[in-house]
Amino acid sequence: MAELYGVTGKIARVDLSREKVTVIEPDVELYKKFLGGATLGMYYLFKEGIVSPDVDPFSPENMLQVMLGPLNGAAPNNRSVFVTKSPYGFICLSFAGGQTAAKLRFAGWDGLQIVGKAKDPVYIAVIDDKIEIRDASDLWGKDTEEAEMELKKRVLAPIEYKDVSVLTKYDMTPQWVEIRPPDPEKTIGAKRLAGVWLIGPAGENKVWFANIITEGFRAHGRYGSGAIAGSKNLKGIVVRGTKGQRLANKAKFLSIMNDIVNKEKQSYFWRSYGTAGIGYWEAVTKSGFPIRNWQWEAWRDPRTAKALTGPFMDDASFVRKEACPGCALHCAYMTQITSADPMMDGKITDMPDWEAMGMVGGNLGYLEMPGKTPSDPYTGDHFDQAEALAKTQYTTMLFDKFGMDFIEGGALIAFLMELRQRGYIGPEDLDGIDLKWGDVHAVDAIIRKIVKREGIGDVLARGLFPTAEYFAEKKGKPEIVQYAQGCHRYAQPAHGTRSNKDRNPLEYITVIRPCEHTGGGSGAFMARDLAGGIEGQNFEAVTNSLVICMFANSFYGWENALEMVKAATGWTDYTLDDLHKVGDRYYALGRLFSLYSLQIKDPLEDWDKTFPPRWFEPLPEGPYKGARSVYNGDPEAMLADLREYYKLRGWTEKGVPTKEKLEELGIADITADIAKRWW
Amino acid sequence: MSEERSSGKKDPITRRQFVAGAATAIVSAIVGGIVGSQAFPKTVTETVTREATKTLTSTATVSTTVPTTVVSTATKEVTKTATKEVTTTVTVTPTVKKTPVKNAMLLINPVKCTGCMLCAFACAEHWIKEEHPELAGETINLEFSRIRPMRFQYVDVVNVCYQCRLEPYAEGSDKHPCEQVCPTGALHTVPEGEGKEGYYGNGYLWVDKDKCLGIDKCGRCLEVCEEQFGSGISYDPITKKAQVCSMCGGMPVCADACPEGAIEVVAPGRNGRVYAEPPEAKAELYYMKLFGVRRDL
Repeated sequence: MAELYGVTGKIARVDLSREKVTVIEPDVELYKKFLGGATLGMYYLFKEGIVSPDVDPFSPENMLQVMLGPLNGAAPNNRSVFVTKSPYGFICLSFAGGQTAAKLRFAGWDGLQIVGKAKDPVYIAVIDDKIEIRDASDLWGKDTEEAEMELKKRVLAPIEYKDVSVLTKYDMTPQWVEIRPPDPEKTIGAKRLAGVWLIGPAGENKVWFANIITEGFRAHGRYGSGAIAGSKNLKGIVVRGTKGQRLANKAKFLSIMNDIVNKEKQSYFWRSYGTAGIGYWEAVTKSGFPIRNWQWEAWRDPRTAKALTGPFMDDASFVRKEACPGCALHCAYMTQITSADPMMDGKITDMPDWEAMGMVGGNLGYLEMPGKTPSDPYTGDHFDQAEALAKTQYTTMLFDKFGMDFIEGGALIAFLMELRQRGYIGPEDLDGIDLKWGDVHAVDAIIRKIVKREGIGDVLARGLFPTAEYFAEKKGKPEIVQYAQGCHRYAQPAHGTRSNKDRNPLEYITVIRPCEHTGGGSGAFMARDLAGGIEGQNFEAVTNSLVICMFANSFYGWENALEMVKAATGWTDYTLDDLHKVGDRYYALGRLFSLYSLQIKDPLEDWDKTFPPRWFEPLPEGPYKGARSVYNGDPEAMLADLREYYKLRGWTEKGVPTKEKLEELGIADITADIAKRWW
Repeated sequence: MSEERSSGKKDPITRRQFVAGAATAIVSAIVGGIVGSQAFPKTVTETVTREATKTLTSTATVSTTVPTTVVSTATKEVTKTATKEVTTTVTVTPTVKKTPVKNAMLLINPVKCTGCMLCAFACAEHWIKEEHPELAGETINLEFSRIRPMRFQYVDVVNVCYQCRLEPYAEGSDKHPCEQVCPTGALHTVPEGEGKEGYYGNGYLWVDKDKCLGIDKCGRCLEVCEEQFGSGISYDPITKKAQVCSMCGGMPVCADACPEGAIEVVAPGRNGRVYAEPPEAKAELYYMKLFGVRRDL
């Protein structure tokens, strides 16, 4: 094999049932075709047949992969992606930042693929070439914070570890020995350089929207990768690498990297508050803030929105900032909660970021004063606003600690609150918990039930849409399902579609990760420029295959991304067209995965029309009062755009990649048999 | 050398008053952490001369002779043309020409540090060129870095050598502890005026790779460091020989690479062992400082 740069050409396959590790050495052509990360991971899910509806997500046959792209390691803005079949049956591509991905590359791997199921709880320790499956029984049940610190201690490289003492009193001066003689028990091993991915109790109990967490608060947020790890009895993956990364043209690579960091240093937006900066503006200029299960998207009184905005949150609680390797944006802020409520006071967590502000803060009704609605003037003061912030932070902290997704979780609890508001359900349906808008103690109680899958928590642990169907059936009222806000049977994240300023609802339908808000091309979609939208989505797909950050990718652009790939890998003949094709493959594979795995008969009717009617209802309040999305309340106009979008992608009008398209992309061998049922 | 100022724009409030206000406790931590650590009766700072091409505020900290914790910070004007204070979080990185700081040490501000590891990338790059020029053209490997950020959930510890020295009256030597226990004399202090060009400092620590036995056979330097001081030694992943921070001869590349200004190069004029802690202990202390609670790691 030719010498590889950027990538290492080695993926480890860890079989937890057989306790065996094998090494897969993909051909360099495979890297060129799929780049790495999300797209390469999806390729393996097709190739190994995981896509088949016969493979149950929780079965040992399902494969949990963490995949890297060619830039991971030395490049700024590293991220990691877990690729697997989601507990919901569709594709799971779940991203997070942090240092661990770089460490996996420095250990000499392009990814890990985990199959089988361990008999007892285990963790996987990666120390360079050595991969061990180790016992984690004592860590099972521990929350993410405690377990991560413990795992970090247990994995040390040979160059920082020695289990025998060599120091004797003869090495020291007599006076020194007299006051502090050497301790023969003391050995070498104080450094803590390992990175950890792990699950919390929610993942262990297979809550469908459980996360894989790293660094205490960075969550591989959506689609339930934590539940899949839990189903394999896998508590975590700990990585320590000492080999570094080889780059084909290091000088060029470093110069681009330097440019990017310098550009990042000029970014006021990111370097001030990160996504926490947008709260107020989401409400008052875009009107896309989720409020009370999306019944409102802005408050009548702009003062209400201030509680969840960077400057206010900074004044009240931000302590310090944290960055991913090589990044000068430091979009994460560590915070400490201050509250009059002893349950919340003094707890330590992060931010909230925009999704937490939206899905937990606004959506659960934390911002309004008691007894008021979002249509009432705000009567509170700065302390009341700080309490709203505290509630949001506390709830976010619970989700992080237990390892659960607060987007799906926030949407689920908000949905239950709306059912209670409308009188469909009461405390008797929720084991006595009275879910009133803004009641953080009730939210705390329900989250703990979900994590333990106790009583009603066992139903709720399957997420929003299964819960909606459960209550619709239990109450004999099918209309209940319409209040579940989301599409493709997954919760809508915090960007509204009803004003004509935030998001085009079509974006949520076209993305291949169900109802994701990070698909790219939002501006173009808002202008109904579908080709531009596809361009944006493909760039995001490339970003996800390089596994770099979507916040930082605005500092890259297509050209820089290509130059970085070339400098890292030495693929001198690699072109922009190759990158675009990776984006097309990502979209084709992701779409086919979900359609086939869920056995969707008619993709357009049975899958794409699963959006809530509220998307097209007039907004009750705010700067765009009365707005009904960019389609002005007409779902048919959106579906017409959807058909046009599919045409531009080279797919059938039901949204299935055609034979010609699959052949052009060179993936017909793994997909044609699947796609042909809809041709 | 540089224009030194013993007085400057006085901080309107003392550190004690800062601490008294609970809401500003964190701000106090930032200022206090750096300034307080330098509160030292006799001011002996030889500060870095910087020629700024763009706007730049160097917050050189100069202690006064006022007793206890009353400390003033001097905002230092760098050149006649560059005086604009940077007040937003956007800082413009200046092009600087520097002279080395004698008896230099690194002070890391745990509030400003974001754990981005750019210091380690810069350090690794510096040393791979020095020690493995054959690899330097194509490899990036953080193991060659002498400065190692470590993330402990919510706090980042930048682990580095703090230039500890033994105290002659108590320990019978004024050598660095690691130097004292080195059985072959590989780890040694290069006296001022000797050694590599540009590395004069007030002497710097250096490992003679031919003499070092490596971690497999020895490891005394790191063992004594971790047992009684910090964890300032690391080992070359290829040769397994010891690595120690030589302060780049008083002009550390890590400090230049830091986008947050979290690494200060100072001449504290005192024994660095007062700053040294093993990484976990540092993390626990930072946690107390930042969040006001104890957490065992």
